[in-house]
Amino acid sequence: MRKAIGIILICAALILPFVFFDVLPAIGDPASAPNSHVSDYYIEHTESIANSPNMVTAVIVDFRAFDTLLETTVMFLAGVCVMIILAGVFKTDKRIIEPRSKKMKKHKKGEPVFRGINKDVTITVLQPIILVYAIYVLFHGEVSLGGGFQAGALIGTVLLLDAMAIPDKRNFPDITKGTSAMVAGIGTFIYALAGILTLVGGGFFLEYEKFPWSVAAAEQHSIGILMVEIGVTLGVAGTIVTIMNAILEKVKFDK
Amino acid sequence: MIGTLLAGKGIFFLTLLLLGIGMAGIIVCENYMKKLICMNIMQVAVIFFFLCLGQKNGGTIPVALDSVINAADYINPLPHGLMLTAIVVSLGTTGVGLALLYRIKDRYGSIEERDIIRRGKDKQ
Repeated sequence: MRKAIGIILICAALILPFVFFDVLPAIGDPASAPNSHVSDYYIEHTESIANSPNMVTAVIVDFRAFDTLLETTVMFLAGVCVMIILAGVFKTDKRIIEPRSKKMKKHKKGEPVFRGINKDVTITVLQPIILVYAIYVLFHGEVSLGGGFQAGALIGTVLLLDAMAIPDKRNFPDITKGTSAMVAGIGTFIYALAGILTLVGGGFFLEYEKFPWSVAAAEQHSIGILMVEIGVTLGVAGTIVTIMNAILEKVKFDK
Repeated sequence: MIGTLLAGKGIFFLTLLLLGIGMAGIIVCENYMKKLICMNIMQVAVIFFFLCLGQKNGGTIPVALDSVINAADYINPLPHGLMLTAIVVSLGTTGVGLALLYRIKDRYGSIEERDIIRRGKDKQ
């Protein structure tokens, strides 16, 4: 019965394009409805208004800064939510995860085995490279491809790699879930602070031209975008580490 | 005829197939972990659908260049921006889902739907 419903749903999803065939825009058509109304304004005015050649960054943190503020808040709330759900004492002894090397059977001689990668060395080499790239993506995100979300995800990846690849050996200091949730909260606050500063300067919320210091309007947009991106980076990285820590806390690795 | 049709609108069939697979998986699978994975597949389908809409023939990446002035020569940055945040938020929802699975496993000892329904009846 349930399988029949599933097959019916797939068929219905496949028939849907035929029903709406005239409504759906052709892919790659510059004159189609999604490509014509507001996006042309964004493309033409990113450099003159937002002073940011990267249009995606300009759309996210300048033209649609309210959306991103609330989405960063959603991320922060998700991290706090995971922490609260997993808080409390429950039986951790039952849930022992054996490292994979124990479960794997010994291979016969002569067979190719892909266990030769030295995790100790590889990860230690990889982590600083990823971190440098994350910082580059963060500070260069306004000029070329990149941005706060990507940088936050990269920093979170480094910490995740550190905690999960070799549980016994940590290259970074151990961050508790409380600290990482605090970092996520600080990031979200930095974002809101950018809005509050523009209110102090006499403008609307997140109107970057009205920062209370006196530099050219283009530079004020750059400062606002950078501030928001730092906030987003801290928020995303903190949330990823919070989720990871909250889940890892309930897992006991067997030595 | 069929070539232009597939080039113009063929990708919608694939994205909707992905959406259908995700929805069918949520209904058919009895393991909650698999349901969570199917939810992620559904999210990916929606993201693909939006990214398809932002495509333009012969367009370059949405980073402003001095040599390219015409707006029709850049692909649409709006779906990319929206989906960038959607991807990150989907990470948060997946985390909350995993935490809930942990709680379910702790309460019922299993994440199979049959076991959970059986134990819920036993406790009454």
